[in-house]
Amino acid sequence: MASQVLPLELIDKCIGSRIWVVMKSEREFTGTLLGFDDFVNMVLEDVTEYEITPQGTKKTKLAQTLLNGNNICMLVPGSDGEES
Amino acid sequence: MDVSSTGIQEPFDLIRLSLSERVFVKLRGDREMTGILHAYDGHMNLILSDVEETIMIVSEGEQQATVNVAKRKMDMLFVRGDGVILVSPPSRT
Amino acid sequence: MDESPPPPDVQSPPPPPPSHTGSPTDFLKGVVGKKVIVRLNSGVDYRGILSCLDGYMNIALEQTEEHVEGKITNRYGDAFIRGNNVLYISAAEEL
Repeated sequence: MASQVLPLELIDKCIGSRIWVVMKSEREFTGTLLGFDDFVNMVLEDVTEYEITPQGTKKTKLAQTLLNGNNICMLVPGSDGEES
Repeated sequence: MDVSSTGIQEPFDLIRLSLSERVFVKLRGDREMTGILHAYDGHMNLILSDVEETIMIVSEGEQQATVNVAKRKMDMLFVRGDGVILVSPPSRT
Repeated sequence: MDESPPPPDVQSPPPPPPSHTGSPTDFLKGVVGKKVIVRLNSGVDYRGILSCLDGYMNIALEQTEEHVEGKITNRYGDAFIRGNNVLYISAAEEL
């Protein structure tokens, strides 16, 4: 019997830590996870947004932010993105 | 909930208060229009009358991109809600 | 030993910060009435005061400025933004 860990239980363990969010489009976020809901809408703090374009990556710093879960592709717990 | 000056409690109140008024609507595909708002529903399907649509046509020139603006008028229009980006009512000042 | 006890309130651990669980609902409760940046999936930003929003992330903003590539391209007294276009809502002032 495989131990059943729900995917969102893993994300719940990330609350308070840094997390790397990769969107379906060429856009990524890193930040401290404050909370999330069943749609995986996420509240992040000390956020950096990365817009990846052929001309390079544009970085934007943001304070507390509610990220719409609709276009999230992947979450990497405990990571500060490719910079770390 | 802050219902300070406006007295609106949910976003659709903004639309409800704009019935029979001229509203500005921004749609996907760089379309913008103004018209008199007659009806709306939860999808943001809209019925507008006396509509003036503005279409931005951007052409990349040698030096810089030029934007040509085309306008057209329509008496009565149904707008499908999924194309709506933004609706702005006339200023309530 | 008649050492006096350490003064009570020096170095005693500070009380935990007022508990906010940080869920999306809590964030939104805190940010209504404040200046926010709403970014759409298209990359266009709307900066204004958040009047209210609903479960679809439909948003009503006041004193709204539309920013495209860092430049103000429009101003609206009020604006309704359809939720499916919203990428994020970010606090633009201290919460």
